[in-house]
Amino acid sequence: MATETEPAIQADAPTLRQRLPENLFVHTGIVFSIFAMAAPLLLALVMSTQSTTEVYQVTNLGIGSEGLSNYKTALTDFNFATYLWNSLIMSIIIVIGKVGLSLLAALALVYYDLPFERGVFMFILLTLLLPVPVRIVPLFQLMADLSWTNTMLALTGPYIASATAVFLFRQQFMSIPSSLVETAKLDGVGPLQFLFRVLIPMSKGMIAGVCVITYIYSWNQFLWPLVAVTEQSSQVVQVGIRYIQGSAQAGLTQWGLIMAGAVIALLPPLVVLIALHRPLLQTFAIQQK
Amino acid sequence: MAEQIKPYDSKLQAGALLLPTFAVLIAFLYYPSIETFRLSLYETLFLGQQQQWIGIQNFIDLATSSTYQNSFTISLLFAAIVVVGTILISLFIGYMLFEVSVGTSTYLVAAIWPYALPPAVAAILLNFLMHPNLGIFTHYLELLTPWTLDWFNNGTQAFLLLAIVAIWKQLGYNIIFIVAALNNIPETLTESAKLDGVGRLKMLFKVYVPLISPTMVFLVVMNTIYSFFATFPLVDLMTSGGPSEATNLLIFKLYRDAFEFSNLGYASAQSVVLFLLVAVLMYVQIRISEGYAQYGA
Repeated sequence: MATETEPAIQADAPTLRQRLPENLFVHTGIVFSIFAMAAPLLLALVMSTQSTTEVYQVTNLGIGSEGLSNYKTALTDFNFATYLWNSLIMSIIIVIGKVGLSLLAALALVYYDLPFERGVFMFILLTLLLPVPVRIVPLFQLMADLSWTNTMLALTGPYIASATAVFLFRQQFMSIPSSLVETAKLDGVGPLQFLFRVLIPMSKGMIAGVCVITYIYSWNQFLWPLVAVTEQSSQVVQVGIRYIQGSAQAGLTQWGLIMAGAVIALLPPLVVLIALHRPLLQTFAIQQK
Repeated sequence: MAEQIKPYDSKLQAGALLLPTFAVLIAFLYYPSIETFRLSLYETLFLGQQQQWIGIQNFIDLATSSTYQNSFTISLLFAAIVVVGTILISLFIGYMLFEVSVGTSTYLVAAIWPYALPPAVAAILLNFLMHPNLGIFTHYLELLTPWTLDWFNNGTQAFLLLAIVAIWKQLGYNIIFIVAALNNIPETLTESAKLDGVGRLKMLFKVYVPLISPTMVFLVVMNTIYSFFATFPLVDLMTSGGPSEATNLLIFKLYRDAFEFSNLGYASAQSVVLFLLVAVLMYVQIRISEGYAQYGA
């Protein structure tokens, strides 16, 4: 980590130097904690390059002879390319659907003179009490009745409306200065134009944050895809992990291959988190208030 | 708060804007939830094709089933360990991050990444690294401690391992909120304690934790819900509820009764119990945060 070079560019270097002996202890603690949290992942990365023989030499921590071929095998022979694609499509549909629907609902809640406004809002908020396990049996039956089992509709439909997203966009809209709203009103700007020209540009950070949270959340779903999808070709990558663990276990378990599959399933949300941590953190900060 | 200006008043337009959200919420959230309550009063046969009203018999069966009692007890114990463990570790790490003001961004990302970690991936990594025969963690643990790891057969070990994986995955989320809360404390509130030369640990628990108690309550509720609901992949991929029911958490038992044994009415009754748990937790969260908001104002 390049952090030790950063103190040099800090403007308040003298006070920093005064605090250094004490903070060195804290820095050590942080580096240790970070390393401890990352250790399983780092080990998995190394072992995903190893052959089964190398994996069975338990303390062998060298880069293995398989190189990236475990990844190739996982992607092709074990269908991870298909699973990845399904996960990606599912996550994108949920992100776009949830953000789109929630923006529209928040527009109505904040800028329309609604009868029963509080009731409408409560009706949306109360769904926080209904996570998937509370309704999983009838939801599964509903998908079967609609003939949606094994389709993208089943994977995404139940997730594209959200109390949290409506709540966050509502908060965001209410913080937009009323002078802007007045101007829009006087100019006779239509609601959709108002949404696209004023609200969305002024809510970019919040929208980005909700997109990141939703993307990670959708990508990491396991229970519902397991229930709603039984055909391997329609399955997502998290459940793909379950398949690869099952099928790689004949004879000597190919743990290198399984680790490669796990790394593949982790990378997309991890990359998104690292790239977009700023809007994510800002959105969480608002959610908690 | 100033009165919100409402530039539009067409009820029709407002209805159209709300319609997609309402349609999804009614079709996929409210309707199936009400169905859950109805089904919980039925005995179902042939994948739910045949239903027979049995009143609260499913709930009586649950209350008297030793398997369910076991699942209930271990789920509560599991939640307690995961909540306390996650919050304590996150407090220490979050506090250290808060103490150093340099390199914060790099450190922070390196500390919060488990937020993006899929539970299924967390499970599979530890399945291998803690494997009784092949795991490198197992190897060094057995080398450095007197313990023998045998969590395929030892229920307590399997239970504790699941808890550790659940804590690991949840650290990122907790650190995010704890660092944010610590950064929001006005310096004036902590200055005098600092000047008095209060030690770091005492400072954390006597000064900072009380000041961020609304965040603590929020995290206790979120972590409890997490440990009841989001831990399904851990059980499914690591222990399948075993050995001898030691890790048969409520969510896993529900899944099995519904989708392996097709006992839909009985499973729905278990969903109702989970709903009551969430409802109580959310109620506590709202009441307590309202309390703080009033004192804060």
